[in-house]
Amino acid sequence: MTEARSTRVPAVVGTLSAALTVLAACGVFLVAPEDTDQGIIQKIFYFHVSIAIASLVAFALAGVAGALYLRTRDEKHDELSSAAVGVGLGLAVLVVLTGSIWARASWGTWWVWNDPRLVTFLIVLLLYGAYFMLRSSADGERRMRYSAIYAIAGFASVPLSFYSVRVAESFVHPVVFTQNGADMPGSMLVWYVVAQVAVLGIALTALLLQLSQRRAEKALMRIKLRLQAEP
Amino acid sequence: MKPRAARQLRALVLKDLRLELRTRQTLLAMALFALAVMLIFEFAVGSRTDDLTPFAGGVLWATLALTAVLAVGRTWVPEREQRVLDGLLVAPVPRLALLVSRIIAIACYMAVVELLAVPLALLLFVESPHLGDVGWVVLVCLLADLGIGVVGALLASMAVFTRARDLLLPVLFLPSLLPVVIAAAGATHAVTAGSNDLSEYRGYCTFLAVYAVIFGLVAYATYEFVFDD
Amino acid sequence: MKRFGERRALDGVDVRLEDGECLAVLGPNGAGKSTLLRTLATLLRPDAGTLAIAGHPCPKEAGTVRGLLGYLGHDPLVYLDLTARQNLELYADLYGVPAASERIDAVLREVGLLARSYDAVREFSRGMAQRLGLARLMLHRPSLLLLDEPHAGLDAAGRRLLDAMLEEARGARGVVLVTHEVERAVAQATRVMVLRAGRTVLDEPTAGLDPAALRARYERLVA
Repeated sequence: MTEARSTRVPAVVGTLSAALTVLAACGVFLVAPEDTDQGIIQKIFYFHVSIAIASLVAFALAGVAGALYLRTRDEKHDELSSAAVGVGLGLAVLVVLTGSIWARASWGTWWVWNDPRLVTFLIVLLLYGAYFMLRSSADGERRMRYSAIYAIAGFASVPLSFYSVRVAESFVHPVVFTQNGADMPGSMLVWYVVAQVAVLGIALTALLLQLSQRRAEKALMRIKLRLQAEP
Repeated sequence: MKPRAARQLRALVLKDLRLELRTRQTLLAMALFALAVMLIFEFAVGSRTDDLTPFAGGVLWATLALTAVLAVGRTWVPEREQRVLDGLLVAPVPRLALLVSRIIAIACYMAVVELLAVPLALLLFVESPHLGDVGWVVLVCLLADLGIGVVGALLASMAVFTRARDLLLPVLFLPSLLPVVIAAAGATHAVTAGSNDLSEYRGYCTFLAVYAVIFGLVAYATYEFVFDD
Repeated sequence: MKRFGERRALDGVDVRLEDGECLAVLGPNGAGKSTLLRTLATLLRPDAGTLAIAGHPCPKEAGTVRGLLGYLGHDPLVYLDLTARQNLELYADLYGVPAASERIDAVLREVGLLARSYDAVREFSRGMAQRLGLARLMLHRPSLLLLDEPHAGLDAAGRRLLDAMLEEARGARGVVLVTHEVERAVAQATRVMVLRAGRTVLDEPTAGLDPAALRARYERLVA
């Protein structure tokens, strides 16, 4: 029935993602050409960027789910929204960690303040960490309503934070950043796409697992209450 | 007997003004707090170097951001403590009017504190301040206050209904406020550094305006739901 | 139907009120009386079911309808740090009351607070503050009165005023009165409803009801 089905989907997605990740790792580290400037450490960038984008996708999803909750007041949208924020936050932590490793390898310091992407994700950690504090301070319907509002506001904050840091940096260091954008040679681009899909798959698995865990908890609570109500 | 929105808004703002004049709590606390924070910066950072001019803009806006937490924290507090909120909610007042009245209140609090803090920061932290600088900084203040008001009104209106609202509010408010601090500090620095870089100043001010607009839209779209039990 | 968390505060309560009717709502503490009243006042949104006031569905058109409502809860809903007059000025503006200062003088005179109109409410006794709440209630001449145990907290003068108000409202306005006093319900209402644990257990017109008999039934119902 629904229980069996709901564990099968994450299992399938999870296995696929794991396989893709292994493929991506092999591709990135063994097959893709090495960057002439930065050497092998540049390879972490494939994952750093894909994780960052997956994180932003998760927050966007949370914002949309929040808006849907406000429209429909359906608890399912709140579940999705908070699970998405959780996944996004976890990914953001990885972004910051991989970014720090990359900074150490490239520049010898554990942190750089002149990379607007990296700094933005630090701000993102604060923004969405506050989301969970908000959730734990309210109960019931109000918790869902306020979380939805904050998920929307938070998602507006992300680009604003990014641009404020970027604008500030552009005045302090008026040098155009040479980041690995779409001007990657084809051989690199292929493996980047693989890595991105793999990471998105892992994020999706985590999301589905979170959702099914929450639902199981809720079902358990309902059964408990019913047992208590019966004399 | 359809009440006009302007009349309602004026009544709400008047109410806040009268309450503040009678109790005089918030402004005094904010002024003292701002002064204390500036002193903290002076002693924490200033003893390392003689010329703090490059840091003046940053110190000013760090101070104002922290002081804003006090102003924003007063949102709806008298209504909650004296249990008047139902009276406002049961009246035919559009929730948007409640939002705007709070934005105005927060922006006014900030403006009054800035009257004190800006000249003080210029005198204490800038090597050779010009009187003309104040005018440029005033525009930055106006734009930043708008953003602070919008974000503050939205988040504080939510925080006031939760447990541990004193703890929650700074955690909720400050991360969202970071872009304002960055841009306002940058714009102020462009003024005080003496380089007369107009494009830098304009860039930051534009950002502050964009911030206020975007958050204004978010607040406009979601404010209904804050009180919608 | 209104749910708080997992607990249903109101379940399957139907209320219908015509102009001029007065509905008394009785019930033990926690029965959901205040929740019902607040939902009718558009302060709460029902999780299921519908609410329509004067033909306007709420909460969608709640804004239109709020001007017709007068709500008085346990608190007078006035600012302690403003004067009586300033409080009424605020509400007059919020409700769009025409010729506000004359109307304010009139209601202040009616509740006997005209002499203290320039004093801060903080200096008032509880009875006086509650009387100011009555003034606030009537300021905009609402067509539907929603009263939550209004007699509690009123001094003797205030209670007389309220009874006079309810008398005058009979036949002219709709009234929903939440109260603990069974006798008052029979005396002043046209219909009585008893709530228990969020459900309606009694819903009858008061015409011809004997107060003592009703009290006996009430005791049995809520035991």
